[in-house]
Amino acid sequence: MASPVSVYSNTRDPQIRTTARDSLKMDLLANVSLLPGEERIIDKDVIYICPFNGAVKGKVLITNYRLYFNSVDLDVLVSLDVPLGAISRVEKMGGASSRGENSYGLDITCKDMRNLRFALKQEGHSRRDLFELLFRYAFPLSHGSPLFAYLNQEKFPENGWSIYKPVEEFRRQGLPNNKWRITFINKNYELCDTYPTVLAVPFKSTEEDLKRVATFRSRGRIPVLSWIHRENKAVIVRCSQPLVGMSGKRNKDDERYLDLIREANDTTKLTIYDARPSVNAVANKATGGGYEGDEYQNAELVFLDIQNIHVMRESLKKLKDIVYPTVEESHWLSSLESTHWLEHIKLVLSGAIQVADKVSGGHSVVVHCSDGWDRTAQLTSLAMLMLDSHFRTLRGLQVLIEKEWISFGHKFASRIGHGDKNHTDQDRSPIFVQFIDCVWQMTKQFPTAFEFNENLLLTILDHLYSCRFGTFLYNCESARDQNEVRTKTLSLWSLVNSKMEIYLNPFYTPESGRVLYPVASMRHLELWVTYYIRWNPRIQHQQQSPVEQRYRELLALRDEYLKKLEQLQMSDSSSTSSDLANSSAPNASSSTPPKKYLRTPL
Amino acid sequence: MSGSSGTITIKCKDMRVIQFDIPGMEQCLNIAHSIEILSCLDNVCKMYPFFYKPTDSNLPKQWGLSTPETHYSKMKDLHKKWRLSSVNRDYSVCPSYPPAVIVPSSIGDDVLIKAAKFRQGGRFPVLCYYHRKNGMVIVRSSQPLTGANRKRCSEDELLLQAVIEGSDKGYIIDMRSSQQAQQAWMTGGGFESKSCYERWKRLHRHMERGKVLQESLIKLVEACSDESHNMDRWLSKLENSKWLSHVQTALSTAGLLAECVERDGHSALVHGYEGTDCSLLISTLAQLIVDPSCRSLEGFLALLEREWLQGGHPFQQRCAHSAFSHARLQQESPVFLLLLDSVWQLWRQFPLALGFSEVLLLRLATEAYASDYGTFLCNNDQERCAAGVKDRTHCLFQSLLKPTERDYYSNPLYEPTELAIWPSVHPQSLQLWKGFFLRWTEQARLLEEVQEEIRNMVIKWGKLALS
Repeated sequence: MASPVSVYSNTRDPQIRTTARDSLKMDLLANVSLLPGEERIIDKDVIYICPFNGAVKGKVLITNYRLYFNSVDLDVLVSLDVPLGAISRVEKMGGASSRGENSYGLDITCKDMRNLRFALKQEGHSRRDLFELLFRYAFPLSHGSPLFAYLNQEKFPENGWSIYKPVEEFRRQGLPNNKWRITFINKNYELCDTYPTVLAVPFKSTEEDLKRVATFRSRGRIPVLSWIHRENKAVIVRCSQPLVGMSGKRNKDDERYLDLIREANDTTKLTIYDARPSVNAVANKATGGGYEGDEYQNAELVFLDIQNIHVMRESLKKLKDIVYPTVEESHWLSSLESTHWLEHIKLVLSGAIQVADKVSGGHSVVVHCSDGWDRTAQLTSLAMLMLDSHFRTLRGLQVLIEKEWISFGHKFASRIGHGDKNHTDQDRSPIFVQFIDCVWQMTKQFPTAFEFNENLLLTILDHLYSCRFGTFLYNCESARDQNEVRTKTLSLWSLVNSKMEIYLNPFYTPESGRVLYPVASMRHLELWVTYYIRWNPRIQHQQQSPVEQRYRELLALRDEYLKKLEQLQMSDSSSTSSDLANSSAPNASSSTPPKKYLRTPL
Repeated sequence: MSGSSGTITIKCKDMRVIQFDIPGMEQCLNIAHSIEILSCLDNVCKMYPFFYKPTDSNLPKQWGLSTPETHYSKMKDLHKKWRLSSVNRDYSVCPSYPPAVIVPSSIGDDVLIKAAKFRQGGRFPVLCYYHRKNGMVIVRSSQPLTGANRKRCSEDELLLQAVIEGSDKGYIIDMRSSQQAQQAWMTGGGFESKSCYERWKRLHRHMERGKVLQESLIKLVEACSDESHNMDRWLSKLENSKWLSHVQTALSTAGLLAECVERDGHSALVHGYEGTDCSLLISTLAQLIVDPSCRSLEGFLALLEREWLQGGHPFQQRCAHSAFSHARLQQESPVFLLLLDSVWQLWRQFPLALGFSEVLLLRLATEAYASDYGTFLCNNDQERCAAGVKDRTHCLFQSLLKPTERDYYSNPLYEPTELAIWPSVHPQSLQLWKGFFLRWTEQARLLEEVQEEIRNMVIKWGKLALS
């Protein structure tokens, strides 16, 4: 028993476990359904120090994808199923000589708002193998091994990689047109290595212009079109900060280029939204950055006061402190206030509202922060969600994320630290989590405007960390190409689109023309309890499943309703017209198109 | 006076604030004067419900949904050990009780009369809930008048003994801290001491009431109507108002009461001081938690009628002015609003288990303060009879249940469950009732519309499924 027999080999060697109790334990683990490509690495008797149930005896199983725990004691049914990708830190707690019950073991910090603690027997370095293996498989990149996404052999009927095709999305938006053209100047990532290959730029700009502008924008992230308003042709353009520096450099090409953007829809003034607080924008001059000054004629600059990645990281850390493991009860609201998390959400949302409002008023806008891959992505994608109902569909949201976040180089690898052991890395930050939180806030305020439900948002956030799919891996497209993500890994959207019904909101009523302005006042924002506090059994047990069950029934009812409506329309259009004239009209008119829409990927 | 003008700001009981600019100062003053007088009528019979004539209805024969008599006659299981007593038929034993109350069969009216003398306001222990599953009951009363010289009342002891006949013990949920309960001796009140009520176990759960609640509401409404854009202290302000912690106490005390009956399997007596406020709040919430029949639209309204109207909550005193009154009113207190808020929390946590909609709760919160109907007039049944409320006004509850209105107040997602619904009372599970407290903001209106839309959708699908 003492020797770690099964460390490196396959652990299914039951000859030494003979008691009925042990076989029961084996059964518990045998029931774990592994993914194709997932392999057992080690299992071990441990005590899970559960913050809610106390010490729970059981067995832990480590695979190359997850940490699985099941309690032995049938009275306390505790099980854990944690993708190793969610682990940010593994530490030994206590030493061979430490006293006290359950003081020797492992302490695991997760990226998804929880920590795990396991105690082991003190004799014979019992934790060493577990620690080493966990460390190796949780942080494969630090050990020169591949992420699980590359080993995953799952098969799905849908191929999520085809969900977003840049040219088709531009076509959907009505591009190219006589003011905007599509350029492939970046096809080898030579203009900008963190941008996608396909870009939309002002029609009148030449490739030479683009190259010159790139020299004046941080990391070559030139202003390019993200979205165009179908009617008024106002656009959302994104970029990084101009390289003004301490000496206040100017760049005529950049100035002219921004003016071309303004001209494209004849606005008198182009609004530049700098997501940063103005002090930070000024401070950036010291490192060669800065913001657009008066030399940009016909442009106004607005600072949106959104804090940087470090502030956001600390804010979420504070939030975790008050919700895990125990929820701060006595001064809940003021503790929540002191994390400033909701305040940050408010600023991001209200920034996006300003952008959306400008654009729907017919004025083009440019959005940037420092590098244009964090706050900028939040602002453009949220504004697009407000302006364009397409992005509020299940597939539309996928396109939005693929486009504004993944293809435009939000540094997922750095922000999340996939497979990397360096948990103190200052580059890590929950910027994308914050974006999903903002989306959730919008779904709360507009319960019928989104085709997807909360479950989708939770699934996205789970796989942001899991490393089961290639979707959120790497910092930019060039890195993804190099690492052959699209051919060697699966897309998260394959999973989602193969089982769409569990992600649908039964109350969705498509309204194509409507701009959604959420209320960004603190009074109307809520903490996303079912995400941030979901590990707390009290929150878990709040009857979520019956509601979901009921929602599914409602979806079935809705489908039946739509089917009957369709039949009615087909059989006799005249007799149904009176019925359709009233309240059922919006439902009816929009019922068929989205269904067809869902079947044809863009 | 020409050219002068005045502004009248009307702060309504439903938290709305309306401003009128009126040309002519004298005119303006006259209007203000009229509004002031008409909004503070003392004489019940001059209040609007006595003049209100709905277009479509005649006064039905019976006012209200039910009477203690019909309620009792429907509960057959009860009849073996409990009887309907009309000892209070002329309201002389307890002015705030209805003419008929349910008491242990073994206890005669003479005992009740004596026990009533030992309870504040004559509110002797009466049954308010019978738990079919195990035959346990919830009984409510006011505090015993023990006083400084520790009086006893053998009839009261006998009555309570009869309540737990056949069981080993009962619980008393006293909604005061034990210190407060002892201090009540000084003013003639008190509590059931262990030595006199041997088989009763007392649990003290302090609940705020009266002025403290009122001040909490005022603070909350102030925070909600703060027009300044500086909202960064919103959560602190919300916390400082303490409203949500009152909601929390209400739900957790009700949870405790429900646990006594449902999980522990014992009967319970609930009281505080007068037994007309928090006792009703707690017994109502506990019934919603354990009794599925209270969770339908009718069931809930009938529960309110039994506990709050027949049970003698002094609506006229408690719901006279709401949050904006400048006079310091001794009797004003938003206990009923606290009930509705607590029910809303239940509704939010169990979106399928309750048969009524948020709109119903909003409507009740409005009607309790100002109404076309006579339902919330006066302080108790006796006063309502004396004023002729039942003969000369219309009943709100009956109107809410009219076929044309029903759909509007029903929860389309309702799926009755036989299970108890145990609310989570952790602060992060409780939320500000935005639909009420922020109801005059644009956002609340939009959300209301959306809920309406969802309701219509579900109703439509449901009808189709049936067809």
